[in-house]
Amino acid sequence: MYDSIIGVSALTVELGGNPVLRDLSLSVAPGEIVAVVGPNGSGKSTLLRCLAGLQPVTAGEVRVFGRAPADDAAFWGRVALLGDEPAWYPGLTAREHLELMGAVHTRARMTVDAALELFALEERADAPPLNLSTGQRQRLSLAATLLRPSTLLLLDEPERGLDKGFRAELADLLTEYADEGGTVVMATHDQGLAAIGRQIAPSGVTA
Amino acid sequence: MTGGDGVTGASGGDVRTLRAYVRSRTRTPASLMDRYVSVFCLLMLIAVAGRPVSGVLASLAVPGEPARMGAGVALLALALAGFLAAARGAGPVLLPGADASWLLLSPLNRRHVLARSARLLLGVAAVAGLLLGIGLLAVLGAPDQLVWRVLGALVVGVAAAVGGMALAVLGQASESWRVWLTGGMALLLALAVVAVTGQLRAVLAVAASAPLPTLTAAVSGAAVLSGLLVRQAWATLDRIPTRTLVTSSTRAGHVASAAMSLDPGALTWIAEDNHWRARKLASRRWPSLPAPLSLPAPFALAWQDWRRLARRRGRLAAVAGSAALPAVLAQAGGPPVVLGLAVLGGALAVASLGTSGARRDADNPALARLIGVGRRQALAARAALPALLAGTWAAVALAGLTLVSGVGAGAGVGVWANGAPIDLMVSGGAAWWWFGPLAAPALAAGALRMARRPPVDHSMPVIDTPGGAVPTGPLFWAATGPDLALLGCLPTAAALASQPTALAPFLVAQAVLSVLVLLGFLMRAE
Repeated sequence: MYDSIIGVSALTVELGGNPVLRDLSLSVAPGEIVAVVGPNGSGKSTLLRCLAGLQPVTAGEVRVFGRAPADDAAFWGRVALLGDEPAWYPGLTAREHLELMGAVHTRARMTVDAALELFALEERADAPPLNLSTGQRQRLSLAATLLRPSTLLLLDEPERGLDKGFRAELADLLTEYADEGGTVVMATHDQGLAAIGRQIAPSGVTA
Repeated sequence: MTGGDGVTGASGGDVRTLRAYVRSRTRTPASLMDRYVSVFCLLMLIAVAGRPVSGVLASLAVPGEPARMGAGVALLALALAGFLAAARGAGPVLLPGADASWLLLSPLNRRHVLARSARLLLGVAAVAGLLLGIGLLAVLGAPDQLVWRVLGALVVGVAAAVGGMALAVLGQASESWRVWLTGGMALLLALAVVAVTGQLRAVLAVAASAPLPTLTAAVSGAAVLSGLLVRQAWATLDRIPTRTLVTSSTRAGHVASAAMSLDPGALTWIAEDNHWRARKLASRRWPSLPAPLSLPAPFALAWQDWRRLARRRGRLAAVAGSAALPAVLAQAGGPPVVLGLAVLGGALAVASLGTSGARRDADNPALARLIGVGRRQALAARAALPALLAGTWAAVALAGLTLVSGVGAGAGVGVWANGAPIDLMVSGGAAWWWFGPLAAPALAAGALRMARRPPVDHSMPVIDTPGGAVPTGPLFWAATGPDLALLGCLPTAAALASQPTALAPFLVAQAVLSVLVLLGFLMRAE
């Protein structure tokens, strides 16, 4: 077993010869919320991609659930990643995307109706995601991410496109998720969201 | 409009001056040598293509085959309907993205801004019309006065295509003309159905041997009608709503950039997204099994494709109707190789209609990661729909071919090639349709491979051949998917080509190979 959900040691990532992350170490305990903060280009998204196993590292080690992250079904069964907006399936409505998520994950964290209400999408439930506004599509992405069961949430700027009121609600939802034992690592520019967790900067210095 | 360097004077609607200015900034002026090379290439093309073309035309100087006329006219009607549908789908009047952004929303004369696009449409329609005319001549034949009949067929073809294009332009400007266009397309489809049933044989026989004065009158009528439509379209050009033009031009911008980067997959996503954007949907519950059972996750995921397809009833109806095409092609005299290609190629195309989920996940796996189903399991579940589509379509197509062949053997109205009847599939009788379901797994594997192929790799080498440079990237891209389908359908292809008397060995081989190909594809899926 492992004491920490995430263990990163001496992580260095170079992109095109430029060091994006240098000698970063990080340990995240179960049930913890970690906010990765810093200016544009400081490596927040790169760190998240490393944790998801989608970014080859130049040096160092990344361990998630005690092993190197792998892009396979077992890993994604426990990890929910929300980065850029996903490409929605053609021909399905917003509700049906959530229905699909609930049908695949039999022990969903909430019902589809509850998710639609929680993310204020009830009135747009029958719309194809392409017909939703940017903020509504982000809420749909978050609804799909939080509807499914997971142990670790990796969120890259979850506040993107959201109004101020809903950002505060999102902070509450993430706190609730952590209270249930889930772990959250998110890259964010939102001070309110960052305030609910331990803040780190990708340079390795605690903010 | 201001901008210096001679553009200031363009505000009076002088689109030509403006275009000349843009051209001077983006393109080196054509030198004398450039013009010489262009003219030389044109002369070379005429010299090289002239002889074969005249040979083809001379070979048409025979009376048309009555048994083939109906099917041939049906194919021509379908081709023209498809041309009109494509024109309507594209706009047809559209502008490059930059022109749509800068020139359309300016005080410049709208008709002058659109004139270049209109001339291009006229050219495209004229070329399509020439091909249509040659097709018409091939179907009706030319028992006498070859030159006049060739000219007549070409004029009728061009008049039909140009007139149809003009109708499409008019349809862009007003809803009532759009109804006329839809009516015209429906009429063409009805004509195809009537023609293929043989109801028009007497009419076609009369048309094929019509005396010259009658022919001249008919051709003149077609040309005049087409001319009137073109004149009306030109007059309406400046009344096309800006909103319509901007929409179609933006779409064309996507299409052009996709075509420039040779990633045709992007074209279908644009069409798909545009389709769903314009639709109002009603959510439905995801299927589930009675408690305590639950639908396996891969099948719950794969259900997306079933639901999407069920919502495209028009496309399903078109797919069902297209299963008759191989039989029509056979009636029109298509050789066995062409018929085999039509059956297998058509089945693969139909199978690919049910692979949107696999395509989406291959293009952007973010949602697939969120769903968290294993790739291999997801692919296996997603193979069911394309297999069902391809198997059913191929079975119906082969049954249709068998039917046509049987009719032909009995009544002399059937499959012809080079003037001689072919007893296609009479040997195997009713068992031919079995190839459809048996080849389905291989066709599904080919369709899924096609759905998951990466974009065109432009870094692949370019092979210099005597006919010109051949980029291998697009070739490999195009072959990815059909290669596996062909491999898996070799017994069917061999049977179609050789028409054996005993089908059983081919059927068994097809069943085994098909399953092996699908299993191999799933095992290798990463």
